[in-house]
Amino acid sequence: MTERRESLAAATDQEVVALARAGAESAYRELIRRYERPIFSLVFRMVRDRELAEDLTQETFVKALNAIESYRPEFKFSSWIFKIANNAAIDHLRRRELDTLSLDGSPHAETPEAMEATALQIGNRLESPLEAVEARELGGAIEEAIGRLRPEYRSCILLRHVEGRAYEEIAEILNLPLGTVKTYIHRARNELRQTLAHLRE
Amino acid sequence: MSRPANPHLSSDDFDALLEGVANARVGEHLAACALCHAAVVADRDVVARLESLGRFSPSDQLADRVMAAVILPDPFALHSLGTARRRLFSTRRRLAVAASVAVVLVGAMGASIAWTLGNRELLASLGSSLAGEAASWLWVALRGSAANLFEQPWYGQLRELIGSPGRLALASGALSATYLAGLFALRKLMALPQGGSHAHA
Repeated sequence: MTERRESLAAATDQEVVALARAGAESAYRELIRRYERPIFSLVFRMVRDRELAEDLTQETFVKALNAIESYRPEFKFSSWIFKIANNAAIDHLRRRELDTLSLDGSPHAETPEAMEATALQIGNRLESPLEAVEARELGGAIEEAIGRLRPEYRSCILLRHVEGRAYEEIAEILNLPLGTVKTYIHRARNELRQTLAHLRE
Repeated sequence: MSRPANPHLSSDDFDALLEGVANARVGEHLAACALCHAAVVADRDVVARLESLGRFSPSDQLADRVMAAVILPDPFALHSLGTARRRLFSTRRRLAVAASVAVVLVGAMGASIAWTLGNRELLASLGSSLAGEAASWLWVALRGSAANLFEQPWYGQLRELIGSPGRLALASGALSATYLAGLFALRKLMALPQGGSHAHA
């Protein structure tokens, strides 16, 4: 069993998808294991609400895995699932017009506990408490600045500089011309530069 | 009238600088232009902040919740009525198509039964006529085949063989042995190789 899990972990996305198409539940779980954090991170930074991001991530995986038969192997699986996730997040933002950032928690939360539970949790990689506080502040500032971007810019900048996707792949994921993607990323960086200018002074 | 060229770096130049593939012209401009130099420093700072952002983890139950909503492809779908039913009723569109097909089939069966009950005599005469025709065709085909057989050059040898039980037994034995040898060879050819290495891309 462990051997099988290890061989799945070493397999390419295309090989795992082929096994999933043959009905192997372990292959489905492997795809979820590989992409749950990248997809959840993208969606969470898009919608700024942990509970909602969980729901949209779940919706993304259910939609993708139930349509695995229609996935075309000539495209990257990562592009396909990021496209579904981004569409889910953008659709939600358009429906709710929820473009503002709340580092303090979900705007739908009604109690302080709910606010805390849904708050954006910023990672701590440094050792001293002072550095940790600074990291939280800097992390908070950049997260806040990302949250102020237009959703289209936000998708582009997150896919490029957080997920490390190539321009061509981002164009495929967002279904946009390559030139538009480059323009969006450049404008997003300009806006972030201006928003974060005070931190450099 | 010639348009004055933009004296500063373009967005493509900024990208090239970030990716470390800028040409000498960009380097020269950067050394001479304080404005562009400051913008590049700020751009690198923004990108460094973005790239240092961590990934968020969804709750541990996400995979189980996804799997509870995913319909696995069933290689033995014909034996699994439950899966077939779930697939059939998974979307409203599928349900509507299934209901339409059912209505058409039931309607066609009902119309067929009603027409049969109303035209019993016609059906009986049609049946007897068709049966007579079929018997006549069968008899002609049988006679043609027999005549064809008697005209074959090997027919005389076959009759001689049937006339001698010893030779017939010998020939049958030889044929059976050849058949079994063929089956054995085919089984050897179709056997899956044992062991072997797994290649991963």
